[in-house]
Amino acid sequence: MIPPEKLIDGAMRTLRERVLPDVGSSFARGQAYAVIDVLNNLRDRVEIKRAFAEADALAASQALDGVAAALREAGDASAAATLEAAVAEAASGSPEARAEALRRSVIDALAALPDHPEAAREPARNALRGYLVSQAIRDVAPLKPSMLSEISRGEASETSPGEA
Amino acid sequence: MPLLEALRRPCDPAGVNTAAPVDHDLAARLERFLARELGADTVRVSGLDRSTEGFSQESFTFTSEIRRGEESERREWVAKREPEAGLLEPYDLEPEFRVLHALGGEPGILAPRTPFFSADPALLGRSFYLMERLEGRVPLPAPGADGGPPFDDATREALAPQVTGALVALHAVDWRARGLDFLGDPGPGRAAAECELAVWKTRIEHTGLRLQPILWDSLRWLEENLPETDEITLVHGDFRLGNFLVTGSGAEARLTGVLDWELVRLGDPLEDLAWCSCALWRGGTLFAGAMVSPEAFAALYAERAGRDADPERLHYYDVFSVVKMIAIMLTGTRAFLDGRTSDLRMAIFDHQLPFLYALLAATRGWLPGALP
Repeated sequence: MIPPEKLIDGAMRTLRERVLPDVGSSFARGQAYAVIDVLNNLRDRVEIKRAFAEADALAASQALDGVAAALREAGDASAAATLEAAVAEAASGSPEARAEALRRSVIDALAALPDHPEAAREPARNALRGYLVSQAIRDVAPLKPSMLSEISRGEASETSPGEA
Repeated sequence: MPLLEALRRPCDPAGVNTAAPVDHDLAARLERFLARELGADTVRVSGLDRSTEGFSQESFTFTSEIRRGEESERREWVAKREPEAGLLEPYDLEPEFRVLHALGGEPGILAPRTPFFSADPALLGRSFYLMERLEGRVPLPAPGADGGPPFDDATREALAPQVTGALVALHAVDWRARGLDFLGDPGPGRAAAECELAVWKTRIEHTGLRLQPILWDSLRWLEENLPETDEITLVHGDFRLGNFLVTGSGAEARLTGVLDWELVRLGDPLEDLAWCSCALWRGGTLFAGAMVSPEAFAALYAERAGRDADPERLHYYDVFSVVKMIAIMLTGTRAFLDGRTSDLRMAIFDHQLPFLYALLAATRGWLPGALP
């Protein structure tokens, strides 16, 4: 994910380099500079909502717990303990760091699936797949309708989602 | 230069294209170039405009007034120029130019005539080629201004067989006879899918961005399920709604051109069929390319091409299509993060990517009912 301050820097740069040179009216240019001024003062005051990372970390740790339980059930206590240790290790730190560490553990768990005992594979795969689906849905939920049509055409549509 | 070789070139974080900006006198530069190439006394360029469509190469449209003695001629052009940074970097325009030069104007294939290419940065700052501008508009793979589909029923019914015909004609090109084997024949068996997956995996790795677990898992699935084909054809690589030129509407609708050939290569023809059918390009409808159901499109293609549109192989390329689009978006995101572009369109991919991950889950069959 692009850090918000990078996005804001990029928006300011685009306004300066790509938009302002083609804006003819001095009033419109003044408004564009006002947007840059607002963005410039916003950039050091914003951060991603922690709730997103917290929800992701929780879902990932639950999925990994499910894999560990499947491994124990199938008699591979050692692999289960390794996984539980990875989850425990990720428990400290910021929600972002926790989510990041647990996502890496999910990838490790996916990579290890073929090595698991036969009886553990299906429930472990289902636990991990459940996380992948929930993560995809969670990440989509806060997104706004795409303006790709307007961006591609360079024109507002009658029902521009940006005005919704 | 083969793509894999191009991908091995180190990425210059300051931008691979360091030529000084020349856009302030682009029209004059085009006039001098065309006058020389066409052997004209003078060329006047008017209506020069940078197209907003297309997120990869830079496209400029313009009209030229060509004078030779007492005679004068007007011609419409599109200049495609390597971008300062982009979705398909590192760029090499020459292979697609050679394909367009060979196939341009050929009936059925609908590629624009493309007479000129130059890699000399002294001319337009970066490599470019010129192609003749075809008549038509480019319908987008998005709902229209009224929220409705890109085409009405009569238009989509008229276009579907024409689009299928253009794809069949492309796949029927005798690429050896046309001297296009420089694109690199991957060979029989799983090689076509394997080579193509390697290209896009390399692109993803090249971004250095963290892999989402669902992408990691899908890359592994693609590696483990490589389909076989012994039939190697030209593959457009981006044959889909958004790259079609269309005139008219209803029963009069005509497909007049197929654009954006930058991913052209040799490979499995079903990859083009799956890409064109992909949910990415349905324009808010249930239809492949907003024209016809994916099943009907596959059946129509199979009938006209005389080639089996194997559902299992198509499913593989369905998943591959979403992964490929994710790779493209990650590349744009990387270019933005590196500050190698001031095109903010690269940044929007950052918040488009979650849609792609959800689409990937749906295409893998994990979100029942999410896809038509």
